Amino acid sequence: MEDISSEKQALSLSQLNGLIKAAITNTLPDMYWVVAEIAEIKLNQRGHCYLELVEKEDDATIAQIKAAIWAYEYRSISSKFQKATNEHLSRGMKILFLAAVTFHEVYGLSLNIKNIDPTYTIGEMARKRQEVIERIRKEGIIDKNKLLELPLVPQRIAVISSPTAAGYGDFINHLDRNPYSYRFVHVLFPALMQGNEAEASIINALGQIRKKRTGFDLAVMIRGGGSTIDLSCFDSYALSSAVATFPLPIISGIGHEKDDTVVDIVAHTRMKTPTAVAEFIVSGVRAFEETVLGLETRLVNRADELLKDEKQRLISLARQISLVPYRLKSIQLNRLLLVQKDIRGHIRQIFHANRNRLEIMQQAVRHLDPEQVLRRGYSITRHKGKVVKDAASLKNGMVIESTLHKGTVASIVQSGRTRKEGKSHGKKQRTDLLPGLE
Amino acid sequence: MAKNRELTYSQALNELEKIVAEIESEEVDVDVLAEKIKRASFLITFCKGKLRTAEDEVKNVLSEMEEGPAEEAGGEEGNGY
Repeated sequence: MEDISSEKQALSLSQLNGLIKAAITNTLPDMYWVVAEIAEIKLNQRGHCYLELVEKEDDATIAQIKAAIWAYEYRSISSKFQKATNEHLSRGMKILFLAAVTFHEVYGLSLNIKNIDPTYTIGEMARKRQEVIERIRKEGIIDKNKLLELPLVPQRIAVISSPTAAGYGDFINHLDRNPYSYRFVHVLFPALMQGNEAEASIINALGQIRKKRTGFDLAVMIRGGGSTIDLSCFDSYALSSAVATFPLPIISGIGHEKDDTVVDIVAHTRMKTPTAVAEFIVSGVRAFEETVLGLETRLVNRADELLKDEKQRLISLARQISLVPYRLKSIQLNRLLLVQKDIRGHIRQIFHANRNRLEIMQQAVRHLDPEQVLRRGYSITRHKGKVVKDAASLKNGMVIESTLHKGTVASIVQSGRTRKEGKSHGKKQRTDLLPGLE
Repeated sequence: MAKNRELTYSQALNELEKIVAEIESEEVDVDVLAEKIKRASFLITFCKGKLRTAEDEVKNVLSEMEEGPAEEAGGEEGNGY
């Protein structure tokens, strides 16, 4: 039996595979729309795309098959898909595709994908995204980052980005060349911002910043300029919850015009581009400075006001003081007038007293007038025109002349004695004249 | 934080606001006014200057970077200021 079976019924492997192929072609002759998740995907050098498709139930794989998209079709299928979903075909994605079941004698069973309907994936992504949002909401962390207060002055910035991304350069330029010359401290925590590694890479960067969070006021998450694809990692639960529960406010600038990703929703502030994030930060610092400048203005105005009041007080004081001299003057004037009166009275008294003395003196002078003296009976004796005051100066025979009150008499000296006596008498009388002043 | 012995923005702003409120509301003596204005202008200059230099901040951040994983866990007293 063994021999017979081995000799007559044995098929070559190729014969068997040929049979399988024929059976498959016969029973599955059409193309079928199938839903599956991409477990693996890679492009080879010739542009063919090879995938591993799976179906999962509670994380356990319940079906798996290989698939291929030939280069000729791959170009159009992938670009159509990308346009519609803003995503590359990638691992973890659920797709609805049209495929033929093929069997190759060497490579075995495989699906040959002819078309992919992106609307299914869009719906699927939206559903997953919604699930993530719901989960985060249920966990009560959806507003957690939003509720953090923005720093008074956002000056120390932790940046999560790819160092080569154009968006990173834009961000740094805008920050460093701000019009107010504010100085920012920014430290890059590099991360992959797209592709399958992005999620883990960004979560790792968040962890690094968390360890040094006291050195920073803000964290920003920015991504290439204009690239709007491969955002699915920003819809993941793991990344979104890491952002939501981050201890520093996170500003997102993931650079897309589409609906917000879940990260955008849970981030403190969502900006469309890295440049917008930089402007937001600069405006935050500016707001602080404007507050300070506003206080400065109020201060200056108030000080001006107070100084003006003070000046006004000084002016009115000065005015009062300026009136003082006038008052003083009038007081002085009165005093002056009084003094003047006094002085005048004194002068009058003095004059009065003096006038009396003058009259007395005038009388005295009058008594001394020789005319008056002669009238009273005295005479003046002269010798040769000279008044004779001593009888001894006369000698016998000298002619002397005597002036009387009325008229003159000439005499000849005979005896010195007589004349001496007469003269001395006259002398006597003269000295007596003075007391006559009384 | 221990290195941050310097005045912070929020301290400066609070003090400045207090001074302005005082000067605006009360009858201020001119001598006191001068003193307060001197302090206020110091605070304003401090803020304006710090916004434009931030040298200390650079040093602090860099040294923290070198120290590697330093303080971790605990509260969320976010604002370093």
